[in-house]
Amino acid sequence: MVRRFGSHVQAYLADAGWFIPASILLLAIVCYPILRAIGLSFVHESLANGFHTEFAGLDNFVRILGDSRFRGSLTTTLLFTLASVTAEFLIGLLLALSTTSLRKWRNLPRVIFLVPWTLPTAVIAVLWTWIFNDQLGILNAVLIRLGFIDSPIAWLAQPATAMAAIIVADVWKTTPFVFLILLAGMQNVPQDLYEAIEIDGGGIWAKFRYVTWPHLLPFVFVAVVFRLVQAFAIFDLVWVMTGGGPGGATETISVYTYQMYMRYLDFGYGSALAIATVVILTLAAGALYRMLVTRYERIF
Amino acid sequence: MRGPNRGAAALSMLMEPDGTGVWQDLVNEFQSLNPNISVRLVEGPPATNTREDMYATSFLSGEAGFDVIYGDIIWTPKFAAAGWLLDLTSRLSTSDAEDFLREDLRASFYQNRLYRIPAFTDAGILYYRKDLVSPPPETFEDLQRLAKTFQSGDRWGFLWQGKQYEGLVTAYLEILWGFGGDWIDPDTREVLLDRPEALRALEFLRSTIGTISPASVTTYVEEDTRTLFQNGRSVFLRNWPYVWTLMKESPLRAQDRVGIAPMVHSPGHKSAATLGGWGFAISKYSRNPDAAWQFVQFLSRPEQLRKVQLRLGLIPARKSLIPSVFTEILDSARMRPPIPQYSQASDILQRWLSAALTGRVDPERALSNAARETRLLLGL
Repeated sequence: MVRRFGSHVQAYLADAGWFIPASILLLAIVCYPILRAIGLSFVHESLANGFHTEFAGLDNFVRILGDSRFRGSLTTTLLFTLASVTAEFLIGLLLALSTTSLRKWRNLPRVIFLVPWTLPTAVIAVLWTWIFNDQLGILNAVLIRLGFIDSPIAWLAQPATAMAAIIVADVWKTTPFVFLILLAGMQNVPQDLYEAIEIDGGGIWAKFRYVTWPHLLPFVFVAVVFRLVQAFAIFDLVWVMTGGGPGGATETISVYTYQMYMRYLDFGYGSALAIATVVILTLAAGALYRMLVTRYERIF
Repeated sequence: MRGPNRGAAALSMLMEPDGTGVWQDLVNEFQSLNPNISVRLVEGPPATNTREDMYATSFLSGEAGFDVIYGDIIWTPKFAAAGWLLDLTSRLSTSDAEDFLREDLRASFYQNRLYRIPAFTDAGILYYRKDLVSPPPETFEDLQRLAKTFQSGDRWGFLWQGKQYEGLVTAYLEILWGFGGDWIDPDTREVLLDRPEALRALEFLRSTIGTISPASVTTYVEEDTRTLFQNGRSVFLRNWPYVWTLMKESPLRAQDRVGIAPMVHSPGHKSAATLGGWGFAISKYSRNPDAAWQFVQFLSRPEQLRKVQLRLGLIPARKSLIPSVFTEILDSARMRPPIPQYSQASDILQRWLSAALTGRVDPERALSNAARETRLLLGL
C-alpha cells in the first residue's frame, strides 16, 4: 500500500510540470481576486475615508449583522433561488425522463431544449423584458386577447410580478442545464435492472423509484448544487430586467454587493458582503451534499 | 480620428441619448471652430444611475475613459471626493461666476474647490389650476383645503412622486424644508430625520394618500403625474420646470388655466424647492485638460445653453437666461446634502419613506430607522 502510494507521488510530480503554466494563469485570475476580496473584507477602504486602507478587524462583518438591507436582499435571493431551482429541477427531470423514453427522433428535442442555455443571459434578459413590457409586450397582448385581463399589467413595475417575471426568465434559460445533466445520468442506468423490475412485475413508478432515482442521485446533486450556486449569485438577469427594483423588491445579494462596490464605492464592506455570500453558499452546498450523497452511498 | 495637426487633441464625453441631435450639432460647431480638437460624443443609456456607474467604472480603472463629464448635480461631491475631477477653481471667470445661479454654483464646490461648471438647473414647482384656485396656496393647510374643495370624481387634489426612487426624496425634502426641518445639516453633517419636523412632513405626505392623492401615487414618477395633470385630472401637481415647457401646446396652458408657484410651507417658514441640474466637469485622468476646458467653456456659453434650452426645454443655470416665471422659485432652491455618500444616504431615506407611505412601517419608526442608518453611514 505504502509503495503504491509512493510511486503515485513520483508519477504525479513528473506530470505536475505540465500544470505549471495553467496553474499560474489560474492563480492570477481566480486565486488573486479571492484573496484580495478576503483581505479587503477586513479593512475600511471606501470613498468615505478617501480610499485609505485602515485595518477594520471584524467591523465589516458586524455591520452585516445589523444591515436591514442585507437581510432584505438575502430573503429575496433565497426566495428566488428556492423558486427557480425547484422549478428548473422538476421541469428538467420531467423533460429528461420523457425524452429518454423516446425511441425515434430523440435528438431533436434535446437540441431544441438546449437553445435557451446557449444564449447569453443579458440577451435573454432583454428578450423577456420586452415580453413583459406593459405597453408592447406579447404577454399582455395574449392575455388580453384570451380575456384573462382587461388592461395591460406592468409586470416589471410591481414587486411581486417583477420577482415572478425574473423567475420565469431564469427557469426558461437554465432548465436545459438541469435537463442535460440528468439526461447524462440516465445513460448511466444499467438497462438490465429495468428488466429485473419488469420480471418482478413492477410498473413505471417502481422503475423510477428503485432504479432511475437512486442512479440519478449523484447527478441530481451536481445539477442542484450548480444551479443553487448560480441562482444564489444571480446578477445579470436581475440587473438588466429590473436593476433590483421596483423599490428594491428584486434586489439580490449580488446586486446589493455591486451597488456597494460600484455606486457607494465602499470596497471593504462590499468585499465583506461577497465573503458572507460565499460562506452562506458553502454551508448550503455542504448541507445538500450530506443530504443527497450520503443517502446515495447508503443505498449502495 | 485625430486631426493632421501636431497639437491635435481627442476628447470624449459620455452623455444621455442625444435624441434631438442638439449635442452633436454643438460638437460639430465646436470642432469647426477648433479644428485641432476632435470630440467623440458617447451616447450612454437613458438611466442616470447607469451613466453614473459607467463614469465610476472608467475612473476606477484610472484610465482617461472620458475627458469631459456631463453630470447630475448630486454626483459632484462623490466624484470630487473620489479625486476623479479636475480642480477648476482658478479657471472660472468672474463674469461667469456672477452669471451662474448662486445655489447652482455653490453646489459645484466641494471643500471650497470648484469641480463643476453649471449648465442647467432644476427646481421643484407647485403647478396649480388657475381657473379653479386663485391665488395659489401658501401653506400646507391651504393646499389640503383647496385640494379637497376642488377635487371631483375624475379629478384628484394633489399629485406628487411617491415611488421609491430619487424623485420621492426630492418631493419629501421640499415638504420637510417647508416645515422648517432638514435631512442632513450641510455644515455639521448632523442627521435630523428623527426631529418632529421630519415626522410632520412624512405625516403630511401620508395623509394625502387616498384623500387628495390617489392610492397609486406611491408608484408614480414624474411622467405619470404630468400626464394626469396635463389631462386635467388634478388640481395641484408637484413637478419640475420641464412640465411647463411640455404643456405649452396643451389646451390647459393655452387657455391660461395653469399657474406655477413655489411649494407650500407651514406658517412661519419659507418655501423651498429641491435643486437639481446638470453641469460639466473634467476628468483628472484626461490627457488633454486644456482642450477639455476649451470644450466645457464653449458648451457653457449662453449661446450654446440657449440652443439646448430651445431644443430640450432645459433651463440654463445662468441668471441672464432664466425665464422670468421661474425666478422666484429658483431663488428658493436648496441643494441636497453635499456629501460624498449621497447616493447611499438617499437610498436609505427612499426605502424608509416608501415603507412608511405604503403602510409597511409606522412613520415614526421609519424615520428613526432612517436616521440611525444614516448616522451609521456617516460614521457619527
